[in-house]
Amino acid sequence: MASFYIALLFLAVGFLLVGLTVLFSRLLHPRINYPEKNLTYECGIIPEGESWIKFNSRFYVIALIFLIFDVEILFLFPWAVVFEELGLLAFVEMFIFIVILLVGLAYVWVKGDLDWIKPRPELAHLPKEKGK
Amino acid sequence: MNNLESLQFFIPELFLTAGLLVTIIVELLLKKEQKVFTAYLAATVLLITIFFLIRQYAIEPAALFGGMVVIDPMAVFFKILTAVSTLIIVFFSIPSFRVKAEYYVLLLATTLGMMLMAQVNDLLMIILAMELVGLVSYVLAGYRRSDPKSGEASLKYILFGAASTGIMAFGFSYIYGLTGQTNLFEIQQALQSTQHNPVILFVAFVLIIAGLGYKIAMVPFHFWLPDVYEGAPTPVTAFFSVGPKAAGMAVLIRFIISIVAGVSADGQTFTANAPIHAQELLAVLAVLTMTLGNLSALQQKNIKRMMAYSSIAHAGYMLMALAVFTSQSVEAVMFYLVVYMFMNFGAFWVIHRMTPHLGSEEITAYTGLGYRAPLVAVAMGVFMFSLTGLPPLAGFIGKFYLFAAVIKAEWYILAVLGVLNSVVSLYYYAYVTKVMFLNRGDDESAVSISSYDTALLLVFLIPTLVLGVYWVPVISWATQSLHFFLG
Repeated sequence: MASFYIALLFLAVGFLLVGLTVLFSRLLHPRINYPEKNLTYECGIIPEGESWIKFNSRFYVIALIFLIFDVEILFLFPWAVVFEELGLLAFVEMFIFIVILLVGLAYVWVKGDLDWIKPRPELAHLPKEKGK
Repeated sequence: MNNLESLQFFIPELFLTAGLLVTIIVELLLKKEQKVFTAYLAATVLLITIFFLIRQYAIEPAALFGGMVVIDPMAVFFKILTAVSTLIIVFFSIPSFRVKAEYYVLLLATTLGMMLMAQVNDLLMIILAMELVGLVSYVLAGYRRSDPKSGEASLKYILFGAASTGIMAFGFSYIYGLTGQTNLFEIQQALQSTQHNPVILFVAFVLIIAGLGYKIAMVPFHFWLPDVYEGAPTPVTAFFSVGPKAAGMAVLIRFIISIVAGVSADGQTFTANAPIHAQELLAVLAVLTMTLGNLSALQQKNIKRMMAYSSIAHAGYMLMALAVFTSQSVEAVMFYLVVYMFMNFGAFWVIHRMTPHLGSEEITAYTGLGYRAPLVAVAMGVFMFSLTGLPPLAGFIGKFYLFAAVIKAEWYILAVLGVLNSVVSLYYYAYVTKVMFLNRGDDESAVSISSYDTALLLVFLIPTLVLGVYWVPVISWATQSLHFFLG
């Protein structure tokens, strides 16, 4: 139980530091508003259009790949905790598990799903114009 | 049996998994024009898997992996049946999927799922195995990405699949809530030793039947089937019509012999575990399934849709036999699945290879085919009459065993309704034959078929003819396989 007090202390110090920084900047900085300042921040570029747009389906691919390896980590943690009691057998089992996932990684790599920018494919069944 | 000891009885599945991974890696290394090699690799993997499966007949029935799955001759029978059906589908698909190597990987993954479905012994394992088959099937249904119909098929399949699995899982939660067990045989013991509220058990049974019925296309959970069959690529449609259906039947049989009923001491009849009228409900559903399938098939213009409704009707015939709960009826269903595999694959093979020549999947496009491609048309006629159940074809023997099992159990009304349905089905099957031979179309040019097409056609045609006159090996195989692991 005592070790939790350290966590509580961390939490308190964290809140304090962030709170103090925000407070000081609020007290010190000049308040000048102009239209550019109220724009959506897009890495310094002037924003284009609404945020409610269709976006590239590659994000879903990335999300899926992330999910697979996220689950892998989820299985690895409990295995790592009891690793010493389980011995060699568990090591071999986990090795096979990771090899199966590695095949998946090799697949997405070769198929180019890890490359970010790809030209829009020209498919006959897709409409030529955007929108309808 | 613990996990490590179980591995030695799990060799076919392990080999299939390894073969699946190797196929993915080989696919990555091959150039595009060499990718048809993965199809041959997948076929080799399946062949060796079947070899390992045949050797499993020598194993004494046992529960593996802490009771998650069982190994018994019935599981081996269904595993061989599904593996053989996938093997045939690999050769079925080679002409149309030459460069799509992932397709064969997906087929192998579905086979793994179907093999697990054949040997499930735990509620969680039922969901897991059925989802493995389901998830891959959704991808396969939508495999022709540029075709909107294929995408529609996939989407409809996913929505119905997700809903019915959810309903089934809800039913399982009732069973678990009543008995506190997930192992099928411990549930059986719990049901036999204590009296439970039959209303709750009945509700749970209906909910679970919804999930299992979806897999075998039972009315009223059949809505997805015509659209999926029409939209999916034809090899995939043929695949869905046999493999997953046989695996669904295997799960249903296991569910009936463990949760719904217990096998009597002589092993011939099953006695119900609870007074929930499961037999009557199954019988009513079977009659509804075959009647709706046959009556809807009458009006179809598209031959793939007609085959879809015919497949619903055939699920009804098999369900009719299962409803009487005797070992003879289970044997009849197993025999029927073997026969159904050949005749149904044959019909789909003709549809698949003739569609490019005829330019359409409409039944009217087959007009005069008997004069343009005599061998193909005669074979199609044989498959159609075999599906109707006319002697001396394999379909007749299959139906004979189904009806014999029903009559022997003295369910006369059910048998009469089944026979009446067979009569109705004669109309739409014979119509295809009539169009092919008695009518002459405008186009009378001969349709050329390759030797590969002819060879595969004979693979389906010869068993359909031979099993109609000499079916003893198959029925004795089914009898030998009728040996369950019973707790």
